[in-house]
Amino acid sequence: MRVATIALHTFKESVREKVLYNLVAFALLLIGTAILFGSISVGVEQIILITLGLTSISVFGLLIAIFIGIDLVSKEIERRTIYNILSKPVSRPEFILGKYLGLLFTLLVNTAIMTVGFYAALFYQKRALLLDDLRFLGAVYFILLELAMVVGIAVVFSCISTPVLSAVYTFCLYVIGNFSADLRAFGQETQNALLGTLCDVLYYLLPNFGNFNVITQVAHAEKIPGYLWLGNSLYALLYIAALLGMAVLIFEEREFR
Amino acid sequence: MTSSSESLSQPRLRRHVCWLLLLLCLLGLIPIQRSIDLRRGNDRGAADVLFLPSGKFLRQLSLGYEGLLADIYWTRVVQYFGGKRLAHSTEFKLLGPLFQITTDLDPHLLIAYRFGSIFLAEKSPRGAGQPLEALALLHRGIVANPDYWRLWEDVGFIYYWDLKDYPAASRAFQAGSERPGAMEWMRALAAKVAAQGGQLATSRFLWSEIVRQAGNEQIRKNAEDHLIAIEAEEEITKLDELIALYNTRQGRPTRSFQALVTAGYLRALPHDPLGVPYILDAGGRVRLNPRSSVELSLLE
Repeated sequence: MRVATIALHTFKESVREKVLYNLVAFALLLIGTAILFGSISVGVEQIILITLGLTSISVFGLLIAIFIGIDLVSKEIERRTIYNILSKPVSRPEFILGKYLGLLFTLLVNTAIMTVGFYAALFYQKRALLLDDLRFLGAVYFILLELAMVVGIAVVFSCISTPVLSAVYTFCLYVIGNFSADLRAFGQETQNALLGTLCDVLYYLLPNFGNFNVITQVAHAEKIPGYLWLGNSLYALLYIAALLGMAVLIFEEREFR
Repeated sequence: MTSSSESLSQPRLRRHVCWLLLLLCLLGLIPIQRSIDLRRGNDRGAADVLFLPSGKFLRQLSLGYEGLLADIYWTRVVQYFGGKRLAHSTEFKLLGPLFQITTDLDPHLLIAYRFGSIFLAEKSPRGAGQPLEALALLHRGIVANPDYWRLWEDVGFIYYWDLKDYPAASRAFQAGSERPGAMEWMRALAAKVAAQGGQLATSRFLWSEIVRQAGNEQIRKNAEDHLIAIEAEEEITKLDELIALYNTRQGRPTRSFQALVTAGYLRALPHDPLGVPYILDAGGRVRLNPRSSVELSLLE
Protein backbone atom coordinates (compact mmCIF):
# COMPACT_ATOMS: atom_id res chain seq x y z
CA MET A 1 0.00 0.00 0.00
CA ARG A 2 2.82 2.38 0.96
CA VAL A 3 4.64 1.40 -2.21
CA ALA A 4 1.52 2.15 -4.27
CA THR A 5 1.13 5.56 -2.62
CA ILE A 6 4.76 6.48 -3.36
CA ALA A 7 4.36 5.20 -6.93
CA LEU A 8 1.21 7.26 -7.46
CA HIS A 9 2.86 10.41 -6.12
CA THR A 10 5.93 9.83 -8.24
CA PHE A 11 3.74 9.47 -11.31
CA LYS A 12 1.80 12.63 -10.50
CA GLU A 13 5.04 14.51 -9.99
CA SER A 14 6.52 13.21 -13.25
CA VAL A 15 3.56 14.16 -15.39
CA ARG A 16 3.93 17.73 -14.16
CA GLU A 17 7.31 17.97 -15.91
CA LYS A 18 6.85 20.11 -19.00
CA VAL A 19 9.91 18.66 -20.68
CA LEU A 20 8.16 15.30 -20.90
CA TYR A 21 5.41 16.82 -23.01
CA ASN A 22 8.05 18.38 -25.25
CA LEU A 23 9.78 15.03 -25.76
CA VAL A 24 6.52 13.26 -26.52
CA ALA A 25 5.55 16.09 -28.89
CA PHE A 26 8.90 15.77 -30.70
CA ALA A 27 8.45 12.02 -30.96
CA LEU A 28 4.98 12.46 -32.44
CA LEU A 29 6.31 15.06 -34.85
CA LEU A 30 9.05 12.71 -36.00
CA ILE A 31 6.58 9.87 -36.42
CA GLY A 32 4.47 12.25 -38.51
CA THR A 33 7.42 13.25 -40.69
CA ALA A 34 8.04 9.56 -41.37
CA ILE A 35 5.06 9.82 -43.72
CA LEU A 36 6.91 12.57 -45.64
CA PHE A 37 10.18 10.60 -45.70
CA GLY A 38 8.30 7.64 -47.07
CA SER A 39 6.67 9.70 -49.79
CA ILE A 40 10.03 10.84 -51.24
CA SER A 41 11.29 7.28 -51.39
CA VAL A 42 10.38 4.40 -53.67
CA GLY A 43 8.96 1.06 -52.56
CA VAL A 44 9.82 1.42 -48.88
CA GLU A 45 7.26 4.00 -47.73
CA GLN A 46 5.73 1.74 -45.14
CA ILE A 47 9.05 0.32 -43.96
CA ILE A 48 10.35 3.85 -43.42
CA LEU A 49 7.27 4.78 -41.43
CA ILE A 50 7.58 1.65 -39.27
CA THR A 51 11.32 1.87 -38.65
CA LEU A 52 11.37 5.62 -38.09
CA GLY A 53 8.21 5.47 -35.99
CA LEU A 54 9.39 2.67 -33.74
CA THR A 55 12.89 4.16 -33.54
CA SER A 56 11.36 7.46 -32.44
CA ILE A 57 9.46 5.68 -29.68
CA SER A 58 12.69 3.99 -28.63
CA VAL A 59 14.94 7.06 -28.77
CA PHE A 60 12.53 9.48 -27.15
CA GLY A 61 11.55 6.80 -24.66
CA LEU A 62 15.23 6.48 -23.80
CA LEU A 63 15.52 10.24 -23.24
CA ILE A 64 12.41 10.20 -21.06
CA ALA A 65 13.65 7.16 -19.11
CA ILE A 66 17.00 8.80 -18.40
CA PHE A 67 15.42 12.14 -17.65
CA ILE A 68 12.94 10.82 -15.10
CA GLY A 69 15.28 8.21 -13.61
CA ILE A 70 18.21 10.44 -12.70
CA ASP A 71 16.25 12.76 -10.41
CA LEU A 72 15.12 10.04 -8.04
CA VAL A 73 17.16 10.99 -4.99
CA SER A 74 18.60 14.38 -5.82
CA LYS A 75 15.24 16.07 -6.21
CA GLU A 76 14.02 14.65 -2.91
CA ILE A 77 17.13 15.98 -1.18
CA GLU A 78 16.90 19.33 -2.92
CA ARG A 79 13.31 19.78 -1.80
CA ARG A 80 14.12 18.26 1.58
CA THR A 81 11.16 15.90 1.20
CA ILE A 82 13.38 12.86 1.74
CA TYR A 83 13.62 13.64 5.48
CA ASN A 84 9.89 13.83 5.66
CA ILE A 85 9.38 10.53 3.85
CA LEU A 86 12.03 8.55 5.70
CA SER A 87 10.88 9.81 9.08
CA LYS A 88 7.54 8.12 8.41
CA PRO A 89 7.17 4.32 8.68
CA VAL A 90 8.47 3.89 5.12
CA SER A 91 11.44 1.61 4.65
CA ARG A 92 14.10 2.50 2.14
CA PRO A 93 13.36 -0.51 -0.10
CA GLU A 94 9.71 0.58 -0.19
CA PHE A 95 10.79 4.06 -1.14
CA ILE A 96 12.98 2.79 -4.01
CA LEU A 97 10.38 0.31 -5.24
CA GLY A 98 7.57 2.87 -5.07
CA LYS A 99 9.64 5.44 -6.90
CA TYR A 100 10.63 2.93 -9.56
CA LEU A 101 7.05 1.78 -10.14
CA GLY A 102 5.89 5.38 -10.39
CA LEU A 103 8.55 6.10 -13.01
CA LEU A 104 7.67 2.92 -14.85
CA PHE A 105 4.03 3.95 -14.98
CA THR A 106 5.05 7.36 -16.34
CA LEU A 107 7.06 5.59 -19.01
CA LEU A 108 4.16 3.31 -19.83
CA VAL A 109 1.79 6.24 -20.32
CA ASN A 110 4.28 8.14 -22.49
CA THR A 111 5.02 5.09 -24.61
CA ALA A 112 1.31 4.46 -24.99
CA ILE A 113 0.79 8.02 -26.26
CA MET A 114 3.65 7.64 -28.77
CA THR A 115 2.29 4.26 -29.86
CA VAL A 116 -1.13 5.77 -30.50
CA GLY A 117 0.62 8.45 -32.60
CA PHE A 118 2.47 5.75 -34.50
CA TYR A 119 -0.72 3.84 -35.27
CA ALA A 120 -2.43 7.07 -36.28
CA ALA A 121 0.37 7.75 -38.80
CA LEU A 122 0.13 4.19 -40.04
CA PHE A 123 -3.63 4.55 -40.45
CA TYR A 124 -3.13 7.82 -42.34
CA GLN A 125 -0.73 6.14 -44.74
CA LYS A 126 -2.60 2.87 -45.26
CA ARG A 127 -6.10 4.27 -44.87
CA ALA A 128 -6.82 1.17 -42.78
CA LEU A 129 -5.46 -0.82 -39.87
CA LEU A 130 -5.41 -4.60 -40.06
CA LEU A 131 -5.16 -7.24 -37.37
CA ASP A 132 -1.67 -8.04 -38.67
CA ASP A 133 -0.56 -4.51 -37.70
CA LEU A 134 -0.78 -5.56 -34.07
CA ARG A 135 2.62 -7.18 -34.54
CA PHE A 136 4.21 -3.76 -34.01
CA LEU A 137 3.00 -3.93 -30.42
CA GLY A 138 5.58 -6.70 -29.94
CA ALA A 139 8.34 -4.27 -30.84
CA VAL A 140 6.79 -1.64 -28.56
CA TYR A 141 6.66 -4.19 -25.74
CA PHE A 142 10.37 -4.93 -26.19
CA ILE A 143 11.12 -1.20 -26.28
CA LEU A 144 9.22 -0.84 -23.03
CA LEU A 145 11.20 -3.67 -21.42
CA GLU A 146 14.40 -2.00 -22.57
CA LEU A 147 13.27 1.34 -21.16
CA ALA A 148 12.28 -0.28 -17.88
CA MET A 149 15.87 -1.53 -17.60
CA VAL A 150 17.22 1.92 -18.49
CA VAL A 151 15.11 3.52 -15.73
CA GLY A 152 16.48 0.88 -13.35
CA ILE A 153 20.04 1.79 -14.34
CA ALA A 154 19.28 5.49 -13.96
CA VAL A 155 17.81 4.81 -10.51
CA VAL A 156 21.01 3.00 -9.43
CA PHE A 157 23.20 5.84 -10.66
CA SER A 158 20.95 8.45 -9.10
CA CYS A 159 21.60 6.82 -5.72
CA ILE A 160 25.33 7.32 -6.21
CA SER A 161 25.85 10.44 -8.23
CA THR A 162 24.57 13.81 -9.36
CA PRO A 163 21.78 14.02 -11.98
CA VAL A 164 24.10 15.12 -14.80
CA LEU A 165 26.64 12.38 -14.17
CA SER A 166 23.87 9.84 -13.70
CA ALA A 167 22.50 10.78 -17.11
CA VAL A 168 25.96 10.41 -18.69
CA TYR A 169 26.62 7.07 -17.00
CA THR A 170 23.19 5.71 -17.92
CA PHE A 171 23.56 6.76 -21.53
CA CYS A 172 27.06 5.26 -21.73
CA LEU A 173 25.81 1.99 -20.28
CA TYR A 174 22.98 2.00 -22.79
CA VAL A 175 25.47 2.40 -25.65
CA ILE A 176 27.74 -0.31 -24.22
CA GLY A 177 24.71 -2.56 -23.79
CA ASN A 178 24.04 -2.29 -27.49
CA PHE A 179 27.57 -3.46 -28.29
CA SER A 180 27.71 -6.35 -25.84
CA ALA A 181 27.51 -8.94 -28.64
CA ASP A 182 30.70 -7.44 -30.11
CA LEU A 183 32.31 -7.64 -26.70
CA ARG A 184 31.54 -11.33 -26.59
CA ALA A 185 32.79 -11.90 -30.15
CA PHE A 186 36.00 -10.11 -29.21
CA GLY A 187 36.38 -12.36 -26.17
CA GLN A 188 35.83 -15.48 -28.26
CA GLU A 189 38.39 -14.51 -30.83
CA THR A 190 41.10 -13.27 -28.53
CA GLN A 191 44.01 -15.61 -27.85
CA ASN A 192 44.27 -14.39 -24.27
CA ALA A 193 42.30 -16.71 -21.93
CA LEU A 194 42.09 -14.12 -19.15
CA LEU A 195 40.77 -11.47 -21.52
CA GLY A 196 38.32 -14.00 -22.96
CA THR A 197 36.95 -14.81 -19.50
CA LEU A 198 36.74 -11.13 -18.62
CA CYS A 199 34.77 -10.44 -21.81
CA ASP A 200 32.45 -13.33 -21.00
CA VAL A 201 31.83 -12.05 -17.47
CA LEU A 202 31.16 -8.54 -18.77
CA TYR A 203 28.88 -9.94 -21.46
CA TYR A 204 26.63 -11.54 -18.86
CA LEU A 205 26.95 -8.70 -16.36
CA LEU A 206 26.24 -5.78 -18.68
CA PRO A 207 22.72 -5.27 -20.00
CA ASN A 208 22.29 -6.83 -23.41
CA PHE A 209 20.01 -4.40 -25.21
CA GLY A 210 20.66 -6.13 -28.53
CA ASN A 211 18.14 -8.80 -27.44
CA PHE A 212 15.34 -6.27 -27.54
CA ASN A 213 15.88 -4.83 -30.97
CA VAL A 214 13.28 -6.32 -33.29
CA ILE A 215 12.31 -3.15 -35.15
CA THR A 216 13.83 -4.28 -38.46
CA GLN A 217 12.27 -7.71 -38.07
CA VAL A 218 8.73 -6.42 -37.60
CA ALA A 219 9.22 -3.83 -40.35
CA HIS A 220 9.86 -6.73 -42.73
CA ALA A 221 6.76 -8.53 -41.43
CA GLU A 222 8.84 -11.21 -39.72
CA LYS A 223 7.29 -12.89 -36.71
CA ILE A 224 8.90 -12.41 -33.32
CA PRO A 225 9.85 -15.92 -32.18
CA GLY A 226 8.24 -17.25 -29.01
CA TYR A 227 11.53 -17.82 -27.21
CA LEU A 228 12.32 -14.12 -27.56
CA TRP A 229 9.04 -13.11 -25.91
CA LEU A 230 9.72 -15.37 -22.96
CA GLY A 231 13.49 -14.89 -22.84
CA ASN A 232 13.38 -11.11 -23.03
CA SER A 233 10.59 -10.83 -20.47
CA LEU A 234 12.49 -13.01 -18.00
CA TYR A 235 15.77 -11.29 -18.77
CA ALA A 236 14.31 -7.82 -18.17
CA LEU A 237 12.55 -8.98 -15.00
CA LEU A 238 15.71 -10.45 -13.49
CA TYR A 239 17.88 -7.54 -14.57
CA ILE A 240 15.46 -5.00 -13.10
CA ALA A 241 15.26 -7.01 -9.86
CA ALA A 242 19.07 -7.03 -9.70
CA LEU A 243 19.22 -3.28 -10.38
CA LEU A 244 16.63 -2.51 -7.71
CA GLY A 245 18.48 -4.78 -5.28
CA MET A 246 21.64 -2.85 -6.02
CA ALA A 247 19.84 0.50 -5.68
CA VAL A 248 18.45 -0.52 -2.28
CA LEU A 249 21.88 -1.66 -1.09
CA ILE A 250 23.38 1.69 -2.06
CA PHE A 251 20.46 3.70 -0.73
CA GLU A 252 20.63 1.87 2.61
CA GLU A 253 24.19 3.09 3.05
CA ARG A 254 23.39 6.72 2.37
CA GLU A 255 23.07 9.08 5.28
CA PHE A 256 20.79 12.10 5.04
CA ARG A 257 21.61 14.85 7.48
CA MET B 1 17.81 -3.48 24.29
CA THR B 2 15.59 -5.86 22.30
CA SER B 3 14.03 -3.12 20.21
CA SER B 4 17.46 -1.69 19.54
CA SER B 5 18.80 -5.03 18.30
CA GLU B 6 15.64 -5.47 16.20
CA SER B 7 16.08 -2.11 14.57
CA LEU B 8 19.67 -3.02 13.86
CA SER B 9 18.90 -6.45 12.49
CA GLN B 10 16.16 -5.25 10.16
CA PRO B 11 18.37 -3.20 7.84
CA ARG B 12 20.99 -5.94 8.07
CA LEU B 13 18.43 -8.56 7.08
CA ARG B 14 17.30 -6.31 4.25
CA ARG B 15 20.87 -5.98 3.07
CA HIS B 16 21.31 -9.74 3.11
CA VAL B 17 18.08 -10.22 1.19
CA CYS B 18 19.16 -7.60 -1.33
CA TRP B 19 22.55 -9.22 -1.85
CA LEU B 20 20.88 -12.60 -2.29
CA LEU B 21 18.38 -11.15 -4.75
CA LEU B 22 21.17 -9.43 -6.66
CA LEU B 23 23.27 -12.58 -6.95
CA LEU B 24 20.34 -14.83 -7.85
CA CYS B 25 19.12 -12.44 -10.51
CA LEU B 26 22.56 -12.02 -12.04
CA LEU B 27 23.10 -15.78 -12.07
CA GLY B 28 19.63 -16.27 -13.53
CA LEU B 29 20.52 -13.97 -16.42
CA ILE B 30 23.21 -16.36 -17.70
CA PRO B 31 20.98 -19.29 -18.77
CA ILE B 32 18.40 -16.89 -20.25
CA GLN B 33 21.02 -15.06 -22.29
CA ARG B 34 22.58 -18.34 -23.39
CA SER B 35 19.23 -19.66 -24.53
CA ILE B 36 18.55 -16.46 -26.51
CA ASP B 37 22.04 -16.57 -28.06
CA LEU B 38 21.66 -20.20 -29.00
CA ARG B 39 18.44 -19.63 -30.90
CA ARG B 40 19.01 -16.10 -32.11
CA GLY B 41 22.44 -16.92 -33.51
CA ASN B 42 20.76 -18.79 -36.34
CA ASP B 43 18.26 -16.03 -37.02
CA ARG B 44 20.99 -13.42 -37.21
CA GLY B 45 23.13 -15.46 -39.53
CA ALA B 46 20.74 -14.92 -42.38
CA ALA B 47 20.92 -11.16 -42.18
CA ASP B 48 23.88 -10.49 -44.48
CA VAL B 49 22.62 -7.07 -45.33
CA LEU B 50 24.10 -3.58 -45.40
CA PHE B 51 21.41 -1.08 -44.55
CA LEU B 52 23.51 1.92 -45.50
CA PRO B 53 25.60 0.87 -48.47
CA SER B 54 27.05 4.32 -49.25
CA GLY B 55 30.16 5.45 -47.41
CA LYS B 56 29.75 8.97 -48.78
CA PHE B 57 26.23 9.15 -47.33
CA LEU B 58 27.46 7.80 -44.01
CA ARG B 59 30.18 10.43 -44.07
CA GLN B 60 27.51 13.13 -44.20
CA LEU B 61 25.58 11.45 -41.40
CA SER B 62 28.64 11.13 -39.17
CA LEU B 63 28.60 14.86 -38.28
CA GLY B 64 32.37 15.13 -38.51
CA TYR B 65 33.10 11.89 -36.68
CA GLU B 66 33.84 9.98 -39.87
CA GLY B 67 37.25 8.89 -38.51
CA LEU B 68 35.63 7.13 -35.60
CA LEU B 69 32.96 5.67 -37.85
CA ALA B 70 35.66 4.39 -40.21
CA ASP B 71 37.35 2.69 -37.26
CA ILE B 72 34.05 1.10 -36.28
CA TYR B 73 33.46 -0.08 -39.85
CA TRP B 74 36.99 -1.42 -40.08
CA THR B 75 36.39 -3.39 -36.88
CA ARG B 76 33.16 -4.63 -38.41
CA VAL B 77 35.06 -5.79 -41.50
CA VAL B 78 37.49 -7.73 -39.32
CA GLN B 79 34.64 -9.26 -37.33
CA TYR B 80 32.74 -10.12 -40.50
CA PHE B 81 35.76 -11.72 -42.12
CA GLY B 82 36.79 -13.53 -38.93
CA GLY B 83 33.24 -14.75 -38.35
CA LYS B 84 33.00 -16.12 -41.89
CA ARG B 85 36.37 -17.83 -41.53
CA LEU B 86 35.38 -19.41 -38.23
CA ALA B 87 32.12 -20.59 -39.76
CA HIS B 88 34.09 -22.06 -42.71
CA SER B 89 31.95 -19.99 -45.04
CA THR B 90 33.23 -19.29 -48.52
CA GLU B 91 30.82 -16.45 -49.22
CA PHE B 92 32.13 -13.00 -48.46
CA LYS B 93 29.61 -10.90 -50.34
CA LEU B 94 29.70 -7.96 -47.90
CA LEU B 95 33.48 -7.75 -47.79
CA GLY B 96 33.90 -5.53 -50.85
CA PRO B 97 31.10 -3.09 -49.91
CA LEU B 98 32.35 -2.91 -46.31
CA PHE B 99 35.83 -1.95 -47.51
CA GLN B 100 34.32 0.63 -49.82
CA ILE B 101 32.43 2.21 -46.93
CA THR B 102 35.43 2.10 -44.59
CA THR B 103 37.78 3.74 -47.08
CA ASP B 104 35.13 6.25 -48.19
CA LEU B 105 34.84 7.31 -44.55
CA ASP B 106 38.60 7.49 -44.07
CA PRO B 107 40.59 7.35 -47.31
CA HIS B 108 43.84 7.42 -45.33
CA LEU B 109 43.16 4.30 -43.28
CA LEU B 110 46.08 2.45 -44.84
CA ILE B 111 45.59 -0.72 -42.87
CA ALA B 112 42.18 -1.14 -44.49
CA TYR B 113 43.74 -1.19 -47.97
CA ARG B 114 46.61 -3.48 -46.99
CA PHE B 115 44.64 -6.03 -45.00
CA GLY B 116 41.65 -5.59 -47.23
CA SER B 117 43.62 -6.62 -50.29
CA ILE B 118 44.79 -9.75 -48.47
CA PHE B 119 41.26 -10.63 -47.30
CA LEU B 120 39.86 -10.10 -50.78
CA ALA B 121 42.62 -11.66 -52.85
CA GLU B 122 43.41 -14.83 -50.89
CA LYS B 123 41.84 -17.91 -52.37
CA SER B 124 38.96 -19.63 -50.64
CA PRO B 125 38.76 -20.73 -47.83
CA ARG B 126 41.42 -18.31 -46.57
CA GLY B 127 39.84 -15.35 -48.31
CA ALA B 128 37.22 -14.17 -50.73
CA GLY B 129 39.16 -15.14 -53.86
CA GLN B 130 38.46 -11.77 -55.51
CA PRO B 131 41.87 -10.47 -56.67
CA LEU B 132 40.34 -7.94 -59.05
CA GLU B 133 38.30 -6.44 -56.18
CA ALA B 134 41.53 -6.35 -54.17
CA LEU B 135 43.30 -4.48 -56.97
CA ALA B 136 40.42 -2.00 -57.22
CA LEU B 137 40.67 -1.38 -53.47
CA LEU B 138 44.44 -0.86 -53.67
CA HIS B 139 44.12 1.49 -56.63
CA ARG B 140 41.64 3.56 -54.65
CA GLY B 141 44.18 3.59 -51.84
CA ILE B 142 46.93 4.71 -54.22
CA VAL B 143 44.80 7.57 -55.52
CA ALA B 144 44.12 8.73 -51.95
CA ASN B 145 47.68 8.08 -50.73
CA PRO B 146 49.94 8.52 -53.77
CA ASP B 147 53.18 8.63 -51.77
CA TYR B 148 52.68 5.38 -49.90
CA TRP B 149 54.87 2.89 -51.76
CA ARG B 150 53.69 -0.18 -49.85
CA LEU B 151 50.37 -0.16 -51.69
CA TRP B 152 52.30 -0.65 -54.94
CA GLU B 153 54.08 -3.56 -53.33
CA ASP B 154 50.68 -5.10 -52.52
CA VAL B 155 49.48 -4.47 -56.09
CA GLY B 156 52.58 -6.20 -57.45
CA PHE B 157 52.02 -9.07 -55.12
CA ILE B 158 48.46 -9.67 -56.26
CA TYR B 159 49.51 -9.54 -59.91
CA TYR B 160 52.34 -11.94 -59.15
CA TRP B 161 50.64 -14.34 -56.84
CA ASP B 162 46.96 -14.38 -57.64
CA LEU B 163 46.79 -13.32 -61.28
CA LYS B 164 50.17 -14.77 -62.39
CA ASP B 165 50.66 -11.64 -64.48
CA TYR B 166 54.42 -11.26 -63.99
CA PRO B 167 55.02 -8.26 -66.29
CA ALA B 168 52.24 -6.33 -64.52
CA ALA B 169 53.69 -7.37 -61.14
CA SER B 170 57.12 -6.16 -62.21
CA ARG B 171 55.67 -2.82 -63.36
CA ALA B 172 53.88 -2.40 -60.01
CA PHE B 173 57.08 -3.10 -58.04
CA GLN B 174 58.92 -0.66 -60.31
CA ALA B 175 56.26 2.04 -59.77
CA GLY B 176 56.45 1.46 -56.02
CA SER B 177 60.24 1.72 -56.03
CA GLU B 178 59.91 5.24 -57.49
CA ARG B 179 57.77 6.49 -54.59
CA PRO B 180 59.49 8.53 -51.88
CA GLY B 181 60.92 6.40 -49.07
CA ALA B 182 60.59 3.12 -50.98
CA MET B 183 63.00 0.37 -49.99
CA GLU B 184 65.92 -0.36 -52.29
CA TRP B 185 64.89 -3.97 -52.76
CA MET B 186 61.70 -2.94 -54.58
CA ARG B 187 63.79 -2.19 -57.66
CA ALA B 188 65.55 -5.58 -57.36
CA LEU B 189 62.19 -7.22 -56.91
CA ALA B 190 60.88 -5.62 -60.10
CA ALA B 191 63.88 -6.92 -62.02
CA LYS B 192 63.73 -10.41 -60.51
CA VAL B 193 60.01 -10.82 -61.17
CA ALA B 194 60.45 -9.61 -64.75
CA ALA B 195 63.24 -12.13 -65.32
CA GLN B 196 62.15 -15.18 -63.32
CA GLY B 197 58.43 -14.77 -62.63
CA GLY B 198 56.61 -17.97 -61.67
CA GLN B 199 59.59 -19.75 -60.14
CA LEU B 200 59.44 -20.96 -56.54
CA ALA B 201 62.77 -19.24 -55.85
CA THR B 202 61.24 -15.90 -56.82
CA SER B 203 58.22 -16.58 -54.64
CA ARG B 204 60.52 -17.43 -51.75
CA PHE B 205 62.37 -14.16 -52.29
CA LEU B 206 59.10 -12.22 -52.30
CA TRP B 207 57.67 -13.79 -49.15
CA SER B 208 61.00 -13.54 -47.34
CA GLU B 209 61.03 -9.82 -48.01
CA ILE B 210 57.50 -9.58 -46.64
CA VAL B 211 58.52 -11.44 -43.47
CA ARG B 212 61.54 -9.18 -43.09
CA GLN B 213 59.64 -5.93 -43.66
CA ALA B 214 56.24 -6.78 -42.15
CA GLY B 215 55.22 -4.20 -39.62
CA ASN B 216 52.32 -6.31 -38.50
CA GLU B 217 52.10 -9.73 -36.88
CA GLN B 218 49.23 -10.98 -39.06
CA ILE B 219 50.98 -10.01 -42.30
CA ARG B 220 54.17 -11.69 -41.07
CA LYS B 221 52.28 -14.84 -40.11
CA ASN B 222 50.62 -14.99 -43.51
CA ALA B 223 54.00 -14.64 -45.24
CA GLU B 224 55.51 -17.30 -42.99
CA ASP B 225 52.69 -19.69 -43.87
CA HIS B 226 53.49 -19.15 -47.54
CA LEU B 227 57.22 -19.70 -46.93
CA ILE B 228 56.47 -22.95 -45.10
CA ALA B 229 54.28 -24.07 -48.00
CA ILE B 230 57.08 -23.25 -50.48
CA GLU B 231 59.58 -25.17 -48.38
CA ALA B 232 57.27 -28.19 -48.21
CA GLU B 233 56.63 -28.01 -51.95
CA GLU B 234 60.37 -27.97 -52.64
CA GLU B 235 60.95 -30.88 -50.24
CA ILE B 236 58.17 -32.93 -51.82
CA THR B 237 59.64 -32.32 -55.28
CA LYS B 238 63.11 -33.44 -54.08
CA LEU B 239 61.68 -36.50 -52.30
CA ASP B 240 59.71 -37.49 -55.41
CA GLU B 241 62.91 -37.26 -57.46
CA LEU B 242 64.76 -39.37 -54.90
CA ILE B 243 62.04 -42.03 -54.90
CA ALA B 244 62.05 -42.13 -58.71
CA LEU B 245 65.84 -42.66 -58.62
CA TYR B 246 65.50 -45.40 -55.98
CA ASN B 247 62.73 -47.14 -57.92
CA THR B 248 64.78 -47.08 -61.13
CA ARG B 249 67.88 -48.50 -59.43
CA GLN B 250 66.00 -51.14 -57.43
CA GLY B 251 63.72 -52.09 -60.31
CA ARG B 252 60.65 -52.07 -58.07
CA PRO B 253 58.57 -49.30 -56.44
CA THR B 254 59.17 -48.51 -52.78
CA ARG B 255 56.32 -48.74 -50.29
CA SER B 256 57.91 -46.74 -47.46
CA PHE B 257 60.51 -44.12 -46.65
CA GLN B 258 62.21 -46.63 -44.38
CA ALA B 259 63.54 -48.46 -47.46
CA LEU B 260 65.19 -45.23 -48.63
CA VAL B 261 66.73 -44.68 -45.19
CA THR B 262 68.02 -48.27 -45.11
CA ALA B 263 69.46 -47.89 -48.59
CA GLY B 264 71.19 -44.68 -47.53
CA TYR B 265 69.20 -42.33 -49.77
CA LEU B 266 67.87 -40.52 -46.72
CA ARG B 267 69.54 -39.91 -43.36
CA ALA B 268 66.21 -40.14 -41.46
CA LEU B 269 62.48 -40.34 -42.07
CA PRO B 270 61.48 -37.06 -43.73
CA HIS B 271 59.33 -34.50 -41.91
CA ASP B 272 57.58 -31.43 -43.26
CA PRO B 273 58.68 -27.95 -42.08
CA LEU B 274 56.27 -28.19 -39.14
CA GLY B 275 57.75 -31.53 -38.02
CA VAL B 276 55.00 -33.90 -39.17
CA PRO B 277 56.21 -36.96 -41.14
CA TYR B 278 55.51 -37.07 -44.88
CA ILE B 279 53.59 -40.07 -46.19
CA LEU B 280 53.57 -42.07 -49.42
CA ASP B 281 50.23 -42.46 -51.20
CA ALA B 282 49.08 -45.65 -52.98
CA GLY B 283 50.80 -44.53 -56.18
CA GLY B 284 54.12 -44.05 -54.38
CA ARG B 285 53.95 -40.22 -54.48
CA VAL B 286 54.99 -38.10 -51.52
CA ARG B 287 52.11 -36.39 -49.76
CA LEU B 288 51.60 -34.24 -46.69
CA ASN B 289 50.36 -36.11 -43.66
CA PRO B 290 46.64 -35.39 -43.04
CA ARG B 291 47.71 -34.25 -39.55
CA SER B 292 49.98 -31.62 -41.03
CA SER B 293 48.90 -27.99 -40.89
CA VAL B 294 51.06 -26.97 -43.83
CA GLU B 295 48.77 -25.45 -46.46
CA LEU B 296 50.03 -26.37 -49.89
CA SER B 297 46.82 -24.91 -51.32
CA LEU B 298 48.40 -21.50 -50.74
CA LEU B 299 50.66 -22.16 -53.70
CA GLU B 300 47.92 -23.14 -56.12
